[in-house]
Amino acid sequence: MYFYLYDSFLNNKKYVSTLAKIENRLIDLGINGKIDKLSVLKSAQEAIEDSVKNGVDTIVAVGNDKTFAKIVPIVAKQNGLTLGFIPLEDNVIAKFLGIPTGEKACDTLSSRLIERIDLGKANDFYFFSELNIPESEDLTLECNGGHFRINSVNHSNVIKICNLTYASLKGNFKSRKLCDPNDGLLEAIFTPASTGLLGKNQLDFNKRSVFPIRKIKIKSDHSLSLVADGETVIKTPVIVQVVPKKLKLIVGKERKF
Amino acid sequence: MFKKEEGEIKEGETETIIGPSVKVEGDFHGEGSIVVEGQVNGTLRTNQNLKIGTNAKIKADIQAANVFIAGEVKGNLQIKERAELKSTAKVTGDIVTKIISIETGAVLNGKCTSGNEGTAEREIMKPKIKNNRNNILRKEEF
Repeated sequence: MYFYLYDSFLNNKKYVSTLAKIENRLIDLGINGKIDKLSVLKSAQEAIEDSVKNGVDTIVAVGNDKTFAKIVPIVAKQNGLTLGFIPLEDNVIAKFLGIPTGEKACDTLSSRLIERIDLGKANDFYFFSELNIPESEDLTLECNGGHFRINSVNHSNVIKICNLTYASLKGNFKSRKLCDPNDGLLEAIFTPASTGLLGKNQLDFNKRSVFPIRKIKIKSDHSLSLVADGETVIKTPVIVQVVPKKLKLIVGKERKF
Repeated sequence: MFKKEEGEIKEGETETIIGPSVKVEGDFHGEGSIVVEGQVNGTLRTNQNLKIGTNAKIKADIQAANVFIAGEVKGNLQIKERAELKSTAKVTGDIVTKIISIETGAVLNGKCTSGNEGTAEREIMKPKIKNNRNNILRKEEF
């Protein structure tokens, strides 16, 4: 049983005809289901929890990257749910998952090619792509149960814990194993940054550090705000771990993993 | 596993990279190949290859299958197969390995045990008592 969750921005009149086409296509394919729209009064969590009580087993996020990132942690908390995505704008997540934009996404949904992928978990919050950590002098990362500790030497690194990455990793190596959502690992990546001519941060990918990890504890003397998938803010101390094969995801044949 | 002349680990095989902007302290046990360009204090272990770059500074006991050293190491090294010291290498500590290659200009302060003796020495350290007893019994029977 399918449940379609429309993001609040789709209330705009310019999406009316696109949504009508999508709904017709879903009926043609026989995969139509209940539709709910997010609004100020209706949160994604509330909508999904209600749908699960009514026996829904597939949640489909309809919207953009932000819609998808918002829904992943909620779906991950529910057992046995499958997540689908109908992107209405060209976006990086859809490309990564191999899902075409608009009406064509219904066909991908209908073919139901399912991948089970790893998710990252920061305290109680699941994340799909990456956790960004602000650099600080008192920041310490303890890996794999505290057997070793990583510190920044010059405190000018861009630090992230990565489950998967949409962009290809630049630099002098091109290991396909890096940031693979099927490898049962996360990667802690430190990229040194320097200020360029126009005051813009320049990342030196050739001097990057990469640590494959299963569990990491992020500590700091002062409270730091970590951002997961560009959406949710989590305060230190944070324990980050990989949860293998946590998310059942409907993907396209053109997926990049 | 190393490229023939440059002594570099193949790109696709690299799993852990300790770059020049980080310092690692503690018992670091990598599951794949490791490249060190930064600082490591403690112990460093991998069952695969280890490359220690020119600017790397390591104060740690090391265990690896193969090692390529171009930087500074203070600590004992137990290498299963091949240890390669480039001209810029500075090693203070004992090396036990099967094969060793030392380039002109490399500095090694410590005891070096190479050849099969090196690996055999390690095996003697952990004798299989049961097997030895059986062997003795068989000899007596004959």
